[in-house]
Amino acid sequence: MKSTKRSVVPAIAVVVGMLALAAALVSAAAGSGAETAKRGGTYRVGWESTFGWTNSFDPTGEYLANSFAINSSLLIRTLVGYNHVAGVAGNAVVPDLATTVPKPTNGGKTYTFKLKKGIRFGPPVNREIVSKDIRYAIERLARPKNGAQYAFYFPVIKGFDEYSKGEAKSISGIKTPNAKTIIFNLTVPAADFPLRIALIAAGPIPQEVAKCFEGQPGKYGRFVISSGPYMIEGSDDLDISSCAKMQPISGYDGKTRLVFVRNPNYNARTDSRKARENNPDRFEFLVDTNLDDIYAKIAAGDLEDEYATASPKIFREYSTDRSKRSLLKVNPADQTYYVTMNLTQPPFDDVHVRKAMNWVMDRSALRKAWGGAIAGDIAQHVIPDVLLGGALKGFHPFKTQGDRGNVAKAKAEMKRSKYATKDGVCSAKECKGILFISDVRTADKGMLAAIQSSAKKIGITFTVRVVNGAYPVIQTPSKNIPISHRPRWGKDYADASTFIFPLFYGGNIIPAGNTNYALVGLTPSQAKRLGVKGSVNNVPSIDNAADRCLATVSAAARNKCWAAVDRVLTTEIVPWIPYMWANQINVLGPKVDTWAFDQNAGLAGFGHASLK
Amino acid sequence: MSTADAVLETRVVVVGKSPRQLFWMRFKQDKAALAGAVVIVLLIFVAFFGGPLAERITGHPQNEPYSDIMTDDFGLPKGPNSSFWFGADGAGRDLFVRTMYGARTSLLVGIVASGIAVTIGTIIGLLAGFFGRWADTTLSRGADVMLAVPQLLLSIGIVAACSTTKEGCVRGLIQPGLTIVILVIVLFSWPYVARVVRGSTLSLKEKEFVEASRSVGAGSVRIIAGDLFPNLVAPIVVLATLLVPQSILFEAALSYLGLGVPPDQASWGQILADASGLYDVAWWLMVFPGAFLVVTTLAFNLLGDGLRDALDVRTDR
Repeated sequence: MKSTKRSVVPAIAVVVGMLALAAALVSAAAGSGAETAKRGGTYRVGWESTFGWTNSFDPTGEYLANSFAINSSLLIRTLVGYNHVAGVAGNAVVPDLATTVPKPTNGGKTYTFKLKKGIRFGPPVNREIVSKDIRYAIERLARPKNGAQYAFYFPVIKGFDEYSKGEAKSISGIKTPNAKTIIFNLTVPAADFPLRIALIAAGPIPQEVAKCFEGQPGKYGRFVISSGPYMIEGSDDLDISSCAKMQPISGYDGKTRLVFVRNPNYNARTDSRKARENNPDRFEFLVDTNLDDIYAKIAAGDLEDEYATASPKIFREYSTDRSKRSLLKVNPADQTYYVTMNLTQPPFDDVHVRKAMNWVMDRSALRKAWGGAIAGDIAQHVIPDVLLGGALKGFHPFKTQGDRGNVAKAKAEMKRSKYATKDGVCSAKECKGILFISDVRTADKGMLAAIQSSAKKIGITFTVRVVNGAYPVIQTPSKNIPISHRPRWGKDYADASTFIFPLFYGGNIIPAGNTNYALVGLTPSQAKRLGVKGSVNNVPSIDNAADRCLATVSAAARNKCWAAVDRVLTTEIVPWIPYMWANQINVLGPKVDTWAFDQNAGLAGFGHASLK
Repeated sequence: MSTADAVLETRVVVVGKSPRQLFWMRFKQDKAALAGAVVIVLLIFVAFFGGPLAERITGHPQNEPYSDIMTDDFGLPKGPNSSFWFGADGAGRDLFVRTMYGARTSLLVGIVASGIAVTIGTIIGLLAGFFGRWADTTLSRGADVMLAVPQLLLSIGIVAACSTTKEGCVRGLIQPGLTIVILVIVLFSWPYVARVVRGSTLSLKEKEFVEASRSVGAGSVRIIAGDLFPNLVAPIVVLATLLVPQSILFEAALSYLGLGVPPDQASWGQILADASGLYDVAWWLMVFPGAFLVVTTLAFNLLGDGLRDALDVRTDR
C-alpha cells in the first residue's frame, strides 16, 4: 500500500507539472502577451509631416491604411472585424459588433447580422448602438456629398445606386427589422461582403451628431463618436444639444495632434482580447516634420512607434546593431509597388513595348531604392501571392537573373512592336522624350535613375517632370500621363478583388482621383467624356472576367479566378512593371513591451501594444 | 634757369595712365582677387570639358546607376575607391562624373541668370534714375512689387503648373527645368541691380560732366550711353560677380526642393539635394559637390571684391 501511495503521488505531481507547463506554453504561443502585458502608460507615435488623411479623419471618407489601423483598433468597431494580428490570422474576419460572421443565404445574396447587446457609443452620445446606426453610416457614404472614397464597394447592396443618385429615400437592400438585426440584400452573390462591411466607413455613426455635418466632407472628423475601446480626448466635453453648440473635440487639433483616452462606455466583455487588449491608457499621435527627429526620439525612448518613411540608413542601423534588432519589425504589408504604363499613350499603346519594359527593367535596383531586400520581395505579377492563397506561387513571367533585367529578351520583344527599331532598340520618335511623372521622395530619385538606365537600353528616353505630390496628376486621365513610378497599392481588405476593381476595372475610371492609371478597360466613349487622347480604340479589358470572379463564392475557386485575371494582366495586357511586394517596417522605442502587426490594415495593431 | 627750377621741372613730369591701366595696376596687387579669377577660369574649363573628360577617364556615364557594386544591401551608397574617386550617389551613380557635369549646369545657371538679371536691372535702373518722375515711379514700384513676391512660393507654383505636360506652359515657352530656374532667378534678382543702378544714376546725373554734355546739346540716349553707363560699370561688374554665386546657391535651393533642374541633369545643388537624407552615412555626398560650390562662391566673391577695389578709385586699400 505504502509503496503504491508513494508511486502515485509523484505520478500526479508529474502530470500536474506537465499540465502547468503545457498551459504556460499555450499561453506563450498565444503570442499577444494577453496574460502578461502591463496595462497603463502612454503610447506615443511620431507621425511624419502631416496626418495626410483622405477626409479629415471622417471615417466615411478615410481611405488609407494609417486611418484604418487607428480607427479599427481604437475608435470604431464594425459589424465584423479583425484580430489585428500578423499573417493569415490577421486577414480573417471575426465577429465584432455582430454576434457571428453570418453565412449568406438566398444563394449568397443575403447577409443577416445580429448585434451584440450592451455596446454603447462613447460620450457624449452614451446610448446603445443599434442597427440603424449601421444603416445610417452606409447611407451616409452613399450620399456623394459626404466625401466617401470607396463607395464603389457598396453598390452590390440592392438599391444603393438608386439611393446614391437620389432616386430613392432609403437603400432598399438594407433592412433593420429591430434594433439588433440588420439584413443586407445584394444584387449578386458577393463572397467578400463581410470584408466590405468590415471597412471603417461601415462602422456605426450616431445620426444625432453626424447630421450636423451633412454635405460637409471631412467635418465630422473632429467630432467622431467612439464605438471602440478609446475615444478622442475631450469627447466627454462635446455639447451635442444642438449643432450650433458643437465645438471640435479638443484631443484632435486637425493638424498635429490626435490623442485617445479610454472610452468609459467600452464594455470589454462584448469584445475579444484576441482582437483588442487595450493596454495603454492613452495613445498620442504626434506630427513631426523632421524625420530624423522622429527616429532620434524613438531611440531615446521619447516615442514608442512611428508612422514615417524609414530610410535605408535606419534599416541598416537597426538590422546590423544586435541591441536594436528586436526593435525593428518587418512584416509583409500586402502591397505591390509598380511602374504604371498608360495603354492609350504611345509607345505604351503597344503591348510589346510594355513587355519589353518588363524584360529590361532592373527590378533589383528599384527595390534597392527602397532599402533592398528588407523592403520587400521582388514582385513579378500584380496581386501579392498571399491574397491569392498561393494560386500563383512560382508564376514569374518576367524573371531575369538577379532580377536585373534581360536586354536580349527585351530587344526581341521590342522588335515585335509597331514602332521602328534598329536591332531591337526603338528608333521611333514616340520612344523619345516620353513624359515621365516623378515625385520628390528620396526613393523616387534612385528609382528614376534605374528606370531611365534600363529603358535607354531599348531606346526609350524620358522627359522627366518632378511634381511634389504627383498623385493628383497621374490620377487625372485627361492629363494623358504615359508613365509614372509613383503608384503603389495595398489591399483595402483581404481579397484579391481589391487589387482589381480600383486598379483595372474599366467601369471605375473617373475624371479625378482615378486609380486605374493604365486605363485598362477604357472605352472610346469614356475616353471622349474624360478627355483622354491617344489610342483609345481596342483598349483591352478585364471587366467581364472580374465580374465573374466577384460572383464566385467558394474561396478556392475565387482565388483561382483572380489568379487567372492576374495572369491575363501580367502577360497579355501588361499595364504595369510590378517590382516589389513591400514590407511594412516599424521601428519601436525601448519602452514597448508587446506589439503586434495588424495584417489587415498593414500597420501597427495598436490594440495589442503594451509598455514595459 | 636755376638748378632748383631744373629739379622741379624734372619732378613734375607725370606719366599719364588710362583708367584701364590704373584698374589693372590696382587689381594685380590683389592676390586674392587674382586667385579668384584663376579659379573661375579653371571652373569654366571644367564646365566645358570636365564632364565628358571624367566620363571618358572613368568609363562611367553620368546617369548610369551602378547599384549592384556601388550600393550596399540596404541600397546605401558606397564611398570613394579606385574606380569611383568621389564614391557613388544614392542611386549608385559615379559622383565624380556627376560633380564634373554639375559644374556645367551650376555655372551656366549662375552666369546666364546673373547676366540677364544684370542687363535688365541696369536698363531699368538707368531709365528710372535718369528720367525720374513717372518713369521712376513706375519702374521703381515695379521693382518693389517684384521684391515683395515670395520667391519660393512662386517657384513652386510655376513648377506645379508647368510640370504636368511635356510642353510645359505658355505653348512651351516655360519648360520646367533649367529655363524655369534661370527665369525665376532673373525675376527676383534684377530689382536689386536696378535699385543700385538707379541710386548711382540719380547721383551721377547731377555731376558736372553730365551738365557739360547737356550744355553741348547731347541727347538723353547719348548721355545715358556715353556718360552715365561708363561710370556705372564698376558697381555693375561687382554686382554681377556677387550675383553669380548667389544664383548658383539659389539653384541649389530650388533643386533641394525638387524645383530645380531635371533629375537626370546633374548640378551641384541637385547632387546635394539628392543626398539630403544620407549625409550622416555618406559624407562624400556633401563634401565633394559642397567643396566645389564653396570654392566657386568664394572665387566669385573674391573676384568681385577685387574688382570693386580696383575699379573704385575712392576705395581706401
